[in-house]
Amino acid sequence: MHRRARTLSIGVLSVALLAAGCSRTTDDGGSGKGNDKAKTQTGSISYEAADNQGPAAAVQGATKGGTVTVLREADFEHLDPARNYVNVQQLTTGLIYRSLTGYKENGTGEMTLVGDLAKDPGKDVNGDCKVWEFTLRDGLKYEDGSPVTSKDVAYGVARSFAPQLNEGPHYIQQWLYPGGEYNATYKGPYDGGKPTPDGVETPDDKTVRFTFAEPHCDMPYAAAMATTAPVPSAKDTKTNYDLRPFSSGPYKVKSYQRDVALELERNPNWDPNTDPLRTAYPDGFKFTFGLEAAQIAERLVADAPADQAAFTWTDVPPAVLPRTASGPVAERVVKGPTQYTWVLNINTQRVTDLNVRKALNHALDKDAALKAIGGKAAGTPATTLMSPTTAGWKAYDVFGTPPSGDANKAKELLAGKTPELVLAHANSELRTQQAEAIRKSLTERGFKITMKSIELSSYYDEVGRKNNPYDLYLGGWGSDWPTGSTIIPPLYDGREILPEGNQNLSYFNDPGISAEIDRVRKLPAAEQDAEWMKLDEKIMREFVPVVPVYYDATYVLHGSKVGNAYLSDAFGAFQVNNIYVKQ
Amino acid sequence: MLRFIVRRLLVAVVTLIVISLVTFGLFFAVPSSPAKVMCGKNCTAQDIAQVEERLGIRDPLPEQYTNFVSGIFVGRTFGSGEFQRECPAPCLGYSFRNDQPVTEIVTQRAPVTFSIVFGAAAIWILLGVSLGMVSALRRGTVFDRFAIGISLAGASMQVYFFGLILLYLLVYATGLLPFPTYTPLTENPAKWALGLLLPWMTLGFLNSALYARLSRAQMLETLSEDFVRTARAKGLPLRRVHTRHALRAAITPIVTIAGLDIGAALGGTFITETIFGLQGLGKATVEAVQFLNLPVVMATVLLAAIFIVIANIVVDVLYAVIDPRVRLS
Repeated sequence: MHRRARTLSIGVLSVALLAAGCSRTTDDGGSGKGNDKAKTQTGSISYEAADNQGPAAAVQGATKGGTVTVLREADFEHLDPARNYVNVQQLTTGLIYRSLTGYKENGTGEMTLVGDLAKDPGKDVNGDCKVWEFTLRDGLKYEDGSPVTSKDVAYGVARSFAPQLNEGPHYIQQWLYPGGEYNATYKGPYDGGKPTPDGVETPDDKTVRFTFAEPHCDMPYAAAMATTAPVPSAKDTKTNYDLRPFSSGPYKVKSYQRDVALELERNPNWDPNTDPLRTAYPDGFKFTFGLEAAQIAERLVADAPADQAAFTWTDVPPAVLPRTASGPVAERVVKGPTQYTWVLNINTQRVTDLNVRKALNHALDKDAALKAIGGKAAGTPATTLMSPTTAGWKAYDVFGTPPSGDANKAKELLAGKTPELVLAHANSELRTQQAEAIRKSLTERGFKITMKSIELSSYYDEVGRKNNPYDLYLGGWGSDWPTGSTIIPPLYDGREILPEGNQNLSYFNDPGISAEIDRVRKLPAAEQDAEWMKLDEKIMREFVPVVPVYYDATYVLHGSKVGNAYLSDAFGAFQVNNIYVKQ
Repeated sequence: MLRFIVRRLLVAVVTLIVISLVTFGLFFAVPSSPAKVMCGKNCTAQDIAQVEERLGIRDPLPEQYTNFVSGIFVGRTFGSGEFQRECPAPCLGYSFRNDQPVTEIVTQRAPVTFSIVFGAAAIWILLGVSLGMVSALRRGTVFDRFAIGISLAGASMQVYFFGLILLYLLVYATGLLPFPTYTPLTENPAKWALGLLLPWMTLGFLNSALYARLSRAQMLETLSEDFVRTARAKGLPLRRVHTRHALRAAITPIVTIAGLDIGAALGGTFITETIFGLQGLGKATVEAVQFLNLPVVMATVLLAAIFIVIANIVVDVLYAVIDPRVRLS
């Protein structure tokens, strides 16, 4: 499901570029001397008391006060915890409400998963990953001063089953009701439904227990999603909750005018001593919606007094990139990889010859494919299936081909044949340019390519049909939490192939790999990371279902008065928990 | 005079009914199902039916239309059970995306558009007409040529070009002005004006060009008319001849154009609002189109039509005031 949000944002971006009358440059823009702050992941789950205790470590030189302005193209889709599935939304709502667990980050790549509302990342009661228990901290309060209880966490999970609030992640829901649609049997607490789903118990006001039929060693990560945010049933305004979520975090909603602006102010009942993740230095946040990407970038480059405490999550458009590459502006660039990897899926039902699939890997010019969408600022060439932000990630390169491809090796593998393949692409400006670049390099290197353009909004529906008539199509995927368990199984487990709505877009199906997936899934979370990485390499070495094309990157700006600006490793976007306004 | 106004109002009402019917028909004739769009990807037929019921689009079309119209006068209710929403009169529909009545959205956004358009209109009419008048009176002088040159430049430029240049010069490069923002007039008049200065300057300059040329031509024509000569011959002060006699006669076609321009601008400020990052009705319309938020689209289309119709009535009335001949006919 993480695919969707990204496609949408790319669509919005291209619309914005058109509206502003800008065109994309063909050079690869600024290489930027900014702070390349997202490092290779060393993610782990920590039960150490020192990591799990509040308050969060003070940031050197940071001062309290000021208001941070966030410049955005469009409004958030949802702030309701049950409907919250987009990374920048999750970062924003992290200021308003807390989940059972959360990511502790300081911008150096040392990311640990610790307890947020809970005292630690969850207790695996029987050591089989089937029963998970979370104990809430003492002194947790809502914005009205009332205590946060485990019943509210259970109620939050319950309402996420409601069909009216179906936009969020459904991991925990699916684990509680395995087999079939997540809310086929339980439809939430509304219209006479039970107040809590089966398998969720609250023996006392401090404890919440989840019981699953299957082992889910990833539960500490799943619990970091907004699904476990507490919602007091008395404060549940159903679909209206989106506009005014009840605060359990350092800030509360001061005003929210859809599509115009969202203002957050301090929640005086939040106690920093209960929170190991957030320093909450600014007095407030103001989100401004409805700006063009170019306007945002220009304003931040200009750094006028009113915009000095501002930042954005919107990538700097290519037209403005050159001006961010040097001088004082370069100091205010934050860039690095996101959790998205883009691959050229090879429909393995149609392209069955392994040598052809290998030849595709040699023939594709990844540099050109990247250049078409903005060059280095847009990403870096990929050789693996998982993104470098994934826990346990290690670089490998099965083919040893330069990023611009190797015509000789490709032709050698093709042995005089000219395979005729259909390349499908979304019809947005950027994706069309990119597909053209891909077609060009493949055509020059021994393939005959027919292009097929698909309406952007139905792109993934089209290529997600099992019997689609295409051979090659790009697809981007971002993990829901930074481990291989939300990448390899959804994308490469052949048993999950359906008639339509597939995520496994290469329709890769090998019983050996599926068995491996089952084995790795049952390992303790800490041991899984290295194993997913091995599986990643094994799939590419033996089966070649895709051509890894690029690791998506983000390249954003902030004003000169924003302090402690870094990319979140967990969300692949600017982290807001510990920023401050320089006085 | 009263009969005249009543007659114009009746025609306006008929026009609006026709427009509302056409927009209504148009939006429900489109092949895309708004319920399916709202429901998202993993949506069963049952979920879609539920959304359709909430939107009130399961009834036959004529009934939907009468519901829509009666909602404007007496309000209506959307959905049922725990997800029921009240939409008080005047109800232009209910936006489930924003979870608020469309009327509320429109009343939040309209002041932004009104501020932009009326502020700019004041500039372009004053600037344009005075430039044109002075040019006409000093025909052939350096001032005349200069003013006409400027207005030619203004007339040939576009908002998205001139606006971006002003933004770059006054905001990004020099920081002389803040990036435009909207502060309600009632909250802080100085901030209101400062935040809207750029769009006012842009629209004011571009539109004044046409007015300058038009009023210059009209003035020149009336200045050569017999009644002006008579007035002058009677020994009236020149100032009085120019303003009371010549300008009043020259201004009638300008009033017509100004009225239509303002009406059209109110319904079409999308480009200006986009360039200056202001959240007015224009942007609300385009956002609504992007998200297939049909109730909002319908309401804004209808509003744009209302603006034009009202502008036309105002023009007709003003015409009657300025030119007594219109009243008699």
